[in-house]
Amino acid sequence: MALEIPLRVVLAKVGLDGHDRGIKVVARGLRDAGFQVIYAGLWQSIEDVVRTVADEDADYLGISILSGAHMTLAPRIMEALREAQLGHVGVILGGIIPVEDIPKLKEIGIERVFGPGTPIDEIVEFLKQQGSRTHG
Amino acid sequence: MDDTLLTRALAKDRLATSRLLTLIARGEAIAEIDEAMAHAPRPAVIGLTGNGGVGKSTLVGKLIQPYRERGRRVAVLACDPESPLTGGALLGDRVRMPGSATDEGVFVRSLAVASGHQAVADHIGLMARVLGNYGIDRILLETVGAGQGDTAIRQIADVLVLLVQPEAGDDLQWEKAGLMEVADIVVVHKGDLPGAQRVEAQLKDLAKISMHAPEVVRASAAKGEGLETLIDSIERQLAVARDPA
Repeated sequence: MALEIPLRVVLAKVGLDGHDRGIKVVARGLRDAGFQVIYAGLWQSIEDVVRTVADEDADYLGISILSGAHMTLAPRIMEALREAQLGHVGVILGGIIPVEDIPKLKEIGIERVFGPGTPIDEIVEFLKQQGSRTHG
Repeated sequence: MDDTLLTRALAKDRLATSRLLTLIARGEAIAEIDEAMAHAPRPAVIGLTGNGGVGKSTLVGKLIQPYRERGRRVAVLACDPESPLTGGALLGDRVRMPGSATDEGVFVRSLAVASGHQAVADHIGLMARVLGNYGIDRILLETVGAGQGDTAIRQIADVLVLLVQPEAGDDLQWEKAGLMEVADIVVVHKGDLPGAQRVEAQLKDLAKISMHAPEVVRASAAKGEGLETLIDSIERQLAVARDPA
């Protein structure tokens, strides 16, 4: 069952958003699927998240936003990652995201948006198919 | 391995340093990295151990800033257990180490420890030298939450700090063989809780009549108490460890 190379996934919540039930469920699901999950917690600044991704050498960053601020925060996160030379890191988004925003989010480089009710297996399969971003 | 990786790491590139830690954690390119880092300075490794829930991550988080104020460049290697069934791990220690996002002198890395191993990840010594090359001079190495018999960290750490807390057993608990015998410093953590002073007194009494007498410090990460005293104590023990006269 173990992944050949354990993918490292940073999970974080950005900004003033205290709803962490969903992201904790995802953290546990990915752990049980053999991922190394680095849980960074609530109320992270964009600088915090970028530093965590850098120091943890993450393959993926999963951001959960339930505050409605995704169209402001997501572009800033993508920009900050690129500036920090972390453009290779795959970014996925979860939370309450209106369907009409998804194409715009994909345009700025968010790889997938997972809404409420997404089965964990769907996230697991997606990340496994994408594979490692840090290992050539 | 990418050819430029070692060169970039040797030039103190942060992302390359981080990538080398990943390779080492996977047990890859060990000999190559070892050779490249042969002349890297070795930072002092301060091991922090104790049962799960005693407050290791929180205390480590609170030691970073005072150490920075003393001009030290600090890395944290935080170990958490890996599932024996899936190999997965939930590495949650960062949550208790609030941000120093723009400070180049702080580096926090979470490590998964395979089940059946002792309380710290493999190849810590090599990771320490890679971080030493980057300019780090103090490493706070947090174990997964070692039990009484997990003493392998003694071989890795220059100074070993054992955390205990009030209401964790009667005074006979401290008489048992194991970690207490190998610790350089015993921290009575959650030192603001009732019973902490009694535990501190018991341990100090015990130290007086023991062959091996650790320093006893009472501290509270929650209240920010005892942190400077603890760092003084760590630095004193480091001086002894590095220059045993």
